[in-house]
Amino acid sequence: MKLQRAIVTFALFVAGATMTPAIAAEYVSTVGAIEKLIESADPGATVRVPAGRYTGNLRITKPIVLEGAGVVTLDGGGEGTVVELLAPDITFRGFTVTGSGAGIDREPAGIRAETGPVTIEDNRIEDALFGIDLREAPNSVIRQNQIRGKDMELGRRGDGIRLWWSHGCVIEDNIVHSTRDMVFWYSEDLMIRRNRVEDSRYGLHFMYSHHTVLSENVLLRNSVGIYLMYSNEITIEGNTLAQNRGASGYGIGLKDCDGIVVRNNSLLANRVGSYIDNSPSSVDSSGVFEGNLIAFNERGMLMTPNTHDVILTGNGFVENEEQVAVHGRGDLTLNTFTRDGRGNFWSNYAGFDADGDGIGDFPYEAASLFESLIAREPNLRLFVHSPAQQAIEFTARAMPAVRPSPKFADTAPLMTPPTVEIVQIQRSHAGLMTVCAICLVGVAVLVLNVMGRSAVLPGPVAALSSEVLV
Amino acid sequence: MTQVGLSSPSLPMCPSAMRTTLAFARRELREALTSRWFLLYTAAFAVLAVATSFMSLAGTGSHGFAGFSRTAAGLLNLVMLVVPLMAMTAGATSVAGERERGTLLYLLAQPVSRLELLLGKFIGLSAALCASLCIGFGLSAGVLAWRAGGAGVGSFLSLVGFTCLLAVVTLSVGLLISVSTRKASVATGVAVFVWLTLVFLSDLGLMAGSLLFKFRVQELFSLAIINPLQAFKMSAILGLNASLDVLGPAGVYASRTFGAALPWMLAGVLAAWGALSFLAAALIFTRRAPV
Repeated sequence: MKLQRAIVTFALFVAGATMTPAIAAEYVSTVGAIEKLIESADPGATVRVPAGRYTGNLRITKPIVLEGAGVVTLDGGGEGTVVELLAPDITFRGFTVTGSGAGIDREPAGIRAETGPVTIEDNRIEDALFGIDLREAPNSVIRQNQIRGKDMELGRRGDGIRLWWSHGCVIEDNIVHSTRDMVFWYSEDLMIRRNRVEDSRYGLHFMYSHHTVLSENVLLRNSVGIYLMYSNEITIEGNTLAQNRGASGYGIGLKDCDGIVVRNNSLLANRVGSYIDNSPSSVDSSGVFEGNLIAFNERGMLMTPNTHDVILTGNGFVENEEQVAVHGRGDLTLNTFTRDGRGNFWSNYAGFDADGDGIGDFPYEAASLFESLIAREPNLRLFVHSPAQQAIEFTARAMPAVRPSPKFADTAPLMTPPTVEIVQIQRSHAGLMTVCAICLVGVAVLVLNVMGRSAVLPGPVAALSSEVLV
Repeated sequence: MTQVGLSSPSLPMCPSAMRTTLAFARRELREALTSRWFLLYTAAFAVLAVATSFMSLAGTGSHGFAGFSRTAAGLLNLVMLVVPLMAMTAGATSVAGERERGTLLYLLAQPVSRLELLLGKFIGLSAALCASLCIGFGLSAGVLAWRAGGAGVGSFLSLVGFTCLLAVVTLSVGLLISVSTRKASVATGVAVFVWLTLVFLSDLGLMAGSLLFKFRVQELFSLAIINPLQAFKMSAILGLNASLDVLGPAGVYASRTFGAALPWMLAGVLAAWGALSFLAAALIFTRRAPV
């Protein structure tokens, strides 16, 4: 009985294996075939494109749902824009788009929409100068696309995702790699969440784009994580910005922006955690930094001396080489570091909390002689990480006469940092490190044991050294 | 002038000379193991390294992020402070101590050359110092593996390597001090003074000079790397970051100007300090009366 069943199963397996065509040569055609399919479909219908590789530049001029189901590749062959969406209410889903042109003068893209709304989702875009380009395509959705730019130097690349005058769009769950920016021009009321941008220039870049929420994005190893320019009323919430260390190297950069709220983000190991240049720019506006974890950056925050009305509360400044720095000379006393009896956590706070209310009993004063020396003579940064730096700081602590005036004071420093959920961005090598630890100690012990043990020594030296030891 | 043991130039090739040198090295190592300074330094360095690793990971280990780079900054400071002191005092007391005790004369009465003796001491002490450092770093690596998931194994090992190089280099400086002085106490005093100069005075002097005379970046950089400790620091940072940009304009200048040659340049500065000090020590030692 058992044997019989086994034989039947085997026979069925063999039959199945022979009947499915063994990985056939890929079906190759031109995009003309897809255009014909679209022509014959009614507006609003769903068109499934048969699996295969289609070459040429596809133009869609009818509202339609086009499905690639992950088995269709559109190849522009290195010429122009690969897919153009030229009618509203198009859904373009599940394609691999590759091979746009490379010359930046025509701005060739993987997918370009000239009108909206359109939905672009589940696509994979490779080897395209611009990834997805929306021009005046309001209320569109860009979701779960994977975009990888052309392998060129930073300045010659195109943008991974670009919006131009496209209000009310939703950009979510995209993964963008090796492009220039994900950039938003003149586009308002956007929802940008859970995107991941790596190894690009500016992770998220706003130009004159107001009223937007950025949440839970992950921006890794870009030149700048989020750069807002001339854009107002933007909320940046729950994002992770790590290892953005390019030429500017900011986690979050703000240039002439009013009404910015930065809340519960983690800014880790960037060159500068957050750079504030004249934001807020108008007199009656303010900026809010609340509950962010700003850790392991070379400078936690860098503010131009004219910065005013920035309110920082409940942030954790952890182990930044310079917690808050002034860009140039001056102080930051026009800003608020304590509000309603709550300040920020400072990992280099030297005070204590005797009454146990979670708030330090002495103000935190940011005054470092070495930092003020660097502000005077930037070349002196060469001596950072050396005992001489410690000596200078010690001198300043011991001799109040040479202590510089504080850049600012936090009158109610917190004793614990905020809890911010951090995306795991580094692989763990605990095993390797353990091996490393064991090897180091092992080698040391071996050397001492083998070489240090009294062994057979050549004639006279053996005699003399044993005598000397005695 | 001396009567015994002027080294012949063909010595390093001669197997018996090598055996003698190694024998001296072993003797030195054995003495180190039984001496207090070695145990003290090993224990002190181990405790400090472990404490530094713990402290730099405090409150961050739970994020699984901090990893090695922050610990490295702490370890770097520790190494620059402690290792030259360890190595230079160990070197400084070695020859001068034997001279003071009278054992040097006894050793040199044997059919061995002075170069063999000095080389043997150098090798033996180097091995002892490196072993001592490896124990400290090994324990520190254990802490990192346990608390931080141990990111950056490569950079950690490069720091260990450079630290051992620094120890060997400053040991030769110590030996130079040792052969030039008669008393162990004087040698130790001079070693501490040189240590103070390399660790604090030269940097502070350069900073003051930079503020007063407005050195240009290239001037400041070239003056700074003359100091073997700065050369060590820059090599270690290069091993961690692949660029000196954390060191501000002068660092960026160095990375831009010298590029791939920079690590070799810095290693060259260290090696030159080591080689020149040892050569000078050998010259003085072979020319000088034993008592």
